[in-house]
Amino acid sequence: MAQIADPRRIVGRPRPADRRTAIAVGATLVAVAVVVSVGDPGRFAWVRTFFVIFGSLLIQALPFVMLGALAAALVEVFVPIGTFEKLGSLPRPLQLPAAALAGIAFPICECGSVPVARRLMQRGLMPSAAVTFMLAAPVLNPVVIASTFVAFRGRTTLWTMVGGRFLLGMVVAIAVGWVIGNRSKDELLKPNPEEAHEHLLELGRPEARWRRFFVHLGNDFLFMGRFLLLGATIAAAIQTFLPTSVLTGLAERPVVSVLAMMGLAAALSLCSESDAFVAASFVQFGPSAMLGFLVFGPMVDLKLVALYAGTFRRGFTRTVVLVAAAATLVGALWVGVALG
Amino acid sequence: MTDSVVTHTGARVRAETGPPRTWSPGGVAGAFVLGAWAGLFWFLWFSGREAFYLSTRTDWVVPVAAVLLTAATIGRLASARVVTPKPLAARELWIMGLMVVPVVLVLFAPVTTLGAFSADKRAGFSGTGFATSSTDIGSGELTLVDVASAETSPEGERALAKRAGETVRFVGFVSVRDDTPADEFLLARYVVSCCVADATIAEVRVVNVTPGQFANEDWVEVTGTIYPIGREVIVDASSIAEVTRPDHPYLTP
Repeated sequence: MAQIADPRRIVGRPRPADRRTAIAVGATLVAVAVVVSVGDPGRFAWVRTFFVIFGSLLIQALPFVMLGALAAALVEVFVPIGTFEKLGSLPRPLQLPAAALAGIAFPICECGSVPVARRLMQRGLMPSAAVTFMLAAPVLNPVVIASTFVAFRGRTTLWTMVGGRFLLGMVVAIAVGWVIGNRSKDELLKPNPEEAHEHLLELGRPEARWRRFFVHLGNDFLFMGRFLLLGATIAAAIQTFLPTSVLTGLAERPVVSVLAMMGLAAALSLCSESDAFVAASFVQFGPSAMLGFLVFGPMVDLKLVALYAGTFRRGFTRTVVLVAAAATLVGALWVGVALG
Repeated sequence: MTDSVVTHTGARVRAETGPPRTWSPGGVAGAFVLGAWAGLFWFLWFSGREAFYLSTRTDWVVPVAAVLLTAATIGRLASARVVTPKPLAARELWIMGLMVVPVVLVLFAPVTTLGAFSADKRAGFSGTGFATSSTDIGSGELTLVDVASAETSPEGERALAKRAGETVRFVGFVSVRDDTPADEFLLARYVVSCCVADATIAEVRVVNVTPGQFANEDWVEVTGTIYPIGREVIVDASSIAEVTRPDHPYLTP
């Protein structure tokens, strides 16, 4: 019987790297080193400014990405999936808050939380609770809270940011779970969802835990690091070229400022373990707009939309975006009003 | 590290007798990226260059990252020998190369700081919401952080106003704008609470300057008499000396 090749596998198969590719990458890195050391691009003020801001963002945020990857690898390798299943034995009204709070105990990034939520649904956890967990974990986990504390330390808004992020993040995640309601896993999940957060695990047989741990650690770091690189580039470009007067103009309008920061968070696609540092750098914006950035970004951004599309059925992403945006906006504005 | 595994029945078995392993291209490339970043953090720590990127209150992340990344590099390399290695996609290798570019930039680009170019693009210190103490401003040696902090509250402004006529000594860089008179310049210093991305600027107007003596971004030490006038702070210079850039070019609030 003739086998019919899956066209996706032929068209979508990536070209493997060969020796020439490796040499080209190495040569490019050497060329960059030569250009920056001999060419002295720092003589251009804007280049110098860009380099300093770009470098500082990465140097500050990357250690927290590393900590996040470390926590995610620990959870992935050493925490049994049954730990999550205990949520299902709670009374239904408590499942959503409990799922949100479970994020405290499972410090995983927003990219890692998507496949975990899918696995939880497949294991029988109420889908709305799994979605709540998926959205809450990247906001509520200890690494994120710690990085938010470090980023805002010394400011009068420190506890508004740390506490507000925690509480508003939980409320928004529960709100999305509540809207998902009683939809079944078959209504939410794609029949054969592809693993969008590909780990390139080459462990086709039982492997030692330490091997699995380091493979996950390295791959999570590389996966999240590339988005941080993109976000740092955009943030540094904005800060280099955009006069503060433009941002100040947006920042002075209550609703617009929150929407602008939410949109910025979605566009930058930063990892939740490092996004507080970027948010803190937009000093023109008030606490409401900052909270909008810190709560909405880990739930909806460009890379997450791609992950959602690969995992869930059509319509799910729209629901998450709309409900999360509305709940974040209202919550952030309410915090602004409460603070006077 | 023993290469044992736990089976579904809970029994531990040794995996040493398994099929031969070969190097995984993705594992090796990943270890290279991790190692490059680990090397950068060690370099920043030992050279003291972290002061050009971070404030003194957050520079602890540098040694922590150096240790974690080094451990991750060793672990990733040790786990990179696998039974069935997948080919590494060319696109993936280019992305990994891209992730090393920042390391190259920091290591090979000349050491630099934010300068006059950003002075009019950064927010003033007053909008940052940092906690300030009018007691600190009202007593002891005045610093540029005190001067900047005074703008954040009416109490701070009043505390600084009481110190009019006192002699001060500030170190900062020269910032000259289009509308700056020839016998004046702005003495500026960036205030960083976390990393340079959140830098705000603290400035005083220095008068009684010999025209043309100093250029934009020259680091100088100004000694003179301070006159806070509302939100503007003027220093009537009695002496101005060019100095080398400080080891910690940014101030911490």
